[in-house]
Amino acid sequence: MAPLIYSALIISLGLGTTMTFASTHWYLAWMGIEINTLAIIPLMAQNHIPRAIEATTKYFFVQATASATLLFAGISNAFLTGQWNITYTPYTLTSTLITLALAMKIGLAPLHSWMPEVMQGLNLLTGLILSTWQKLAPLYLIYQIQPNNPNIFIALGLMSIIVGGWGGFNQVQLRKILAYSSIAHLGWMILILSFSPPLALLTIIIYILMTFSLFSSFMLTRTTHINSLSTTWAKIPILTISTPLILLSLGGLPPLTGFMPKWMILQELTKQSLCPLATMAALSSLFSLYFYLRLSYAMTLTMPPNNPAGTLPWRLNPQHNTLPLALTTTSTICLLPMTPAIMSLMPF
Amino acid sequence: MSLPNISRVSASGLLRSSRDLRWLLRSVAPLAAPRRALTQMGYRRPGQPREDRPPWWRVKFDLAKGLKGMKRHFKLLKEEFFAPFVGPMGKPIMEHMLEQNQVLWEFRGPHSLQEWTISCDREIGGKSEIYLKVGRNNESCLLYGTLCSDPPKDGETRYSGYCTMRSKQPLASFDRKKYHDWSSFNTLHLRVRGDGRPWMINIVPETYYIHQKDDMYSYFLYTRGGPYWQDVKIPFSKFFLAHRGRIQDDQHPVWLDKINSIGFTLGDKADGPFQLEIDFIGVCKDYAHTEDFAYEKYKRNPEV
Repeated sequence: MAPLIYSALIISLGLGTTMTFASTHWYLAWMGIEINTLAIIPLMAQNHIPRAIEATTKYFFVQATASATLLFAGISNAFLTGQWNITYTPYTLTSTLITLALAMKIGLAPLHSWMPEVMQGLNLLTGLILSTWQKLAPLYLIYQIQPNNPNIFIALGLMSIIVGGWGGFNQVQLRKILAYSSIAHLGWMILILSFSPPLALLTIIIYILMTFSLFSSFMLTRTTHINSLSTTWAKIPILTISTPLILLSLGGLPPLTGFMPKWMILQELTKQSLCPLATMAALSSLFSLYFYLRLSYAMTLTMPPNNPAGTLPWRLNPQHNTLPLALTTTSTICLLPMTPAIMSLMPF
Repeated sequence: MSLPNISRVSASGLLRSSRDLRWLLRSVAPLAAPRRALTQMGYRRPGQPREDRPPWWRVKFDLAKGLKGMKRHFKLLKEEFFAPFVGPMGKPIMEHMLEQNQVLWEFRGPHSLQEWTISCDREIGGKSEIYLKVGRNNESCLLYGTLCSDPPKDGETRYSGYCTMRSKQPLASFDRKKYHDWSSFNTLHLRVRGDGRPWMINIVPETYYIHQKDDMYSYFLYTRGGPYWQDVKIPFSKFFLAHRGRIQDDQHPVWLDKINSIGFTLGDKADGPFQLEIDFIGVCKDYAHTEDFAYEKYKRNPEV
């Protein structure tokens, strides 16, 4: 793609999200989300291969449907309340419609079916943008609307955690696994949103850190299938150590950073006397942990069934800038001891 | 153009004749259009006999067959449900990861021919013939016939002369489409014995748009005539994209995670008998083969 067009699309992505962040009017928020969608479409379709075009088309249909629903709900809310403020959604019908539209945008269960297929058709960089940046604007709107009844958030959250774990159970394609991982993590975030929005913010920030480091690792080793993970040791040995730790952090195991949001969420749910819900969420996340462990096992404890001497790939200096990977990997692994400091920064 | 004459009727006359409105429409064409003959409803290929029976007469309603079908489908559904508990694609994860070779089709009896379908230009009015049978001692399958390049005399077809054998689409329970997932492998491995003719191997993946339904990825299979078997290994990176037989300018490697079928086509314009014996068709992972794609992917007219 021409550098000028590529830059324009990246700037549009930033512009759309920033516009949504800065808006209090439904129209402006919707416009920001639409700019985001339209900016990422050419990025997804830049490789003119059938699978990428299929992924782009499916993504466009889903996002257009969700945007139309969101606009309709926003206009209905304005019609009923007489004002366009995003934070004022007193009617259950409009707030539910808005929630469902935004849930479809970010791929929460039961509106998640498009996500694995779309991720499978994209390259890893575009998949990273889809998993992280494209979630910010809709999540910000969900953060703002504050529905009357938190049950919808609980239902969406729990369903996403279960579906995210169950769906990734027997996947061997890494991009699909990462899609289901995204669904599960967003489930945790939505679950706690109505009880403690700052914790939801913490969850999404840590999720973005972990996902960024994992995607970057896979981009460096150019792996998209679980079988090709077993040759990572021959390409970049240090990644064979760090990537399993990133995966286990995603799974929420202490003493890694990924344990922090889960711990805080379970603590908050317990304080809210929702122990059965907390138990179900914790048990459901074991499904996700299973496939993260499987990936770690494939990477570190298996050798490919061939004679390594004859088939080692050339170990050239990496062309990519590895500083972001280094920073995010360190954050993904080592931030748990800083939990008290992070909690003190959170606006509780 | 003059308007058709319509009889002038008084108001009372209208009321009297309100039950019978057909005379009002005397000048208008009859309401019921003449029924088209059944043979005019679809394209009938030359050589095909005329079919005058209505479509619903062609379906055989048989309770025993229906019950047998339901039993088969529920059995498949049960297998599909319990397979993920074993591992991806019904195999334990270690077996899936360590697998380097997988035999997809092994011709060891008449049952193995049911997964294949054969076709030739006889369907469009040509004169080729193709047959498929089990080889000697049930150890292989034999594809044989006669190729004839004479085009059918229908006034529109200019070229002809092809014979093909293609695997059927795998189906899950209740006839849902299932796909082959060869993403763990990078090479096609065949054991064949031919008569020296060049064949074309076609891989048809699952597509999304209707205008991609004739996309296929092809490569050549050169057989050596003789009594000895040939082990042919073709990397998937060598397969090039063609649409309806025309090689496309924008090329890309075949995506192996959703493959519908594989086929062998003969169309070398050498009229006469042919034979191809196949022992097995499989896929393998060659770690020494690191090529992504054998052809250039650059744009021929890049924008500046």
